[in-house]
Amino acid sequence: MKIKLLKEGYKKDELLYTAFRNGTVDEQFFTEETVEIAEVPDFPIYMGKGSEAQKKADFLEAFKVISESYVNDDRDIHFNERFWHSLLVAEKRDYIVDKYPQVLDGYREFTNIVIKDFNWENYIYKCILAVEYIEDATELYLSKDLYYELIVDNLDIFNYIIKYSIFRNGEFLVKILTVIHSLGISDVLKAKIPDRPDLGSDERYGRRVIFELNKAYPVVMSPLLTVEELQGEFMMALRIYYDISELKVTV
Amino acid sequence: MIYKKDANFPYPILSSTSYSYEESDFTVKVSFEEDGDSYRFKVKPNVMSSFMDNLLRSGQAKYVLVIQSKDTKFFPLTLDQLYVDIHKKRMSLSSRTSIQLHIVADQTLDFSANKELNPFYDQMKSSITVPKYAMLGYSNIVTFEGGMKNPLDLFEKRLDPTLKSAVKFELGSECIVIHFKNEDIQFQSMPKANAFLNPYLYTGLRMALDRFIKTYAEEDDDVVELAQITQPEDLLDFKLYNLMVNKAVVELSVENIDEVIGRISNQIIEKYVKAVKELAVNED
Repeated sequence: MKIKLLKEGYKKDELLYTAFRNGTVDEQFFTEETVEIAEVPDFPIYMGKGSEAQKKADFLEAFKVISESYVNDDRDIHFNERFWHSLLVAEKRDYIVDKYPQVLDGYREFTNIVIKDFNWENYIYKCILAVEYIEDATELYLSKDLYYELIVDNLDIFNYIIKYSIFRNGEFLVKILTVIHSLGISDVLKAKIPDRPDLGSDERYGRRVIFELNKAYPVVMSPLLTVEELQGEFMMALRIYYDISELKVTV
Repeated sequence: MIYKKDANFPYPILSSTSYSYEESDFTVKVSFEEDGDSYRFKVKPNVMSSFMDNLLRSGQAKYVLVIQSKDTKFFPLTLDQLYVDIHKKRMSLSSRTSIQLHIVADQTLDFSANKELNPFYDQMKSSITVPKYAMLGYSNIVTFEGGMKNPLDLFEKRLDPTLKSAVKFELGSECIVIHFKNEDIQFQSMPKANAFLNPYLYTGLRMALDRFIKTYAEEDDDVVELAQITQPEDLLDFKLYNLMVNKAVVELSVENIDEVIGRISNQIIEKYVKAVKELAVNED
């Protein structure tokens, strides 16, 4: 099907919101440019609110739908911000209003859920990247389903990895998740580091490990390491902040 | 990651901009062609170091091709296969793509037999060892520009009679957009109209650079050291970045923002003043 693209400047156009709220979005907001795409199934686009169980279910649902459809399209489509915003505004109003009724409460909610900037903080972006990395991987050490669960269970570290272009890399993500799984240390990585105000207000062990690997690059080019080697570097980095003798793992 | 900063490596590094080697150089040429469902990127390295060449030929070091666009991909290459194939679906040619070749150690190495190093290393080179996976050299960066609409234009002027104000500034996806309510406000009818627009351009530049600092400065900091950041993905920021780097701006901060505008804009305020003065003289 053809998706018409919104006119440039739509992000600052509150009239677009008014029309969306009233269900009267029409031709005037769109250009003649279109994107051709086979199918556009619904999937959760916002996991910023709700219980942990609900968020997890929504992420897994999004991964499933994307892996069966959107991921097979070109990057020129599924990494195109204007495509997504156009699709949501033009075709997904009913789904969005039903699932996220707060978009009718105000412009802020609309910009935060529907026309959210398409970067690592955007939930569609997160899901697309995750699915690309898992589906495209040539070497997986665990099942795909388990990787998808690991991503949701280690969302903080996943976010930190995709935030910086240096480690925004499929093989690196797969290997890091494999290490976390084999060490069984999700909970430690998620935990805040106590008594270290010098590190900032919300520092967690997992972020610090990635930070240390980032710092060591390119003297140690960690994306090229094998899983076993990466596990060694991972523990070396964790050791700087955490007494690893407390972990019940053999290093 | 694409590597361009002349950072402090704790060991000698081979590159065009490093001084570790006396006369050596490491450059790459990249070409690409369509091959069915894929793009094939072919690399042609030029390693002007027999020490490094030997490491590569004997398998003690290897090439790694780094391709960065929406994300970063690493491809270890062998000497008899200096190309990579990437599925077209995973290559977004509408966005900028940067490519660099690295030389990476494939085992622990020492530099004692390296006769090409700067004499600075004479005393210590027998004690330098580098671990497996350490970067030994990095090439120039080859860039495919992608689909920028106006690669050279920093500003876009638009006329909009429905505007609620006389002018309106907006930071667009690849330009600073200045909306004018009518042609009068653009000085359309006057000679030297362009110079009279300069204060508008100044305001737009200030806005854009202000956002640049907010985006690229470390948290809780308001200084951006340009050598320390990677090329911005945002196209407007990329243009500003290139402008600043080309004009030898080293850092951008809330403190020196006006000074930077002076450098990258080629004296826009002075030109404005000159135009006003000329006008005043002519009126007399």
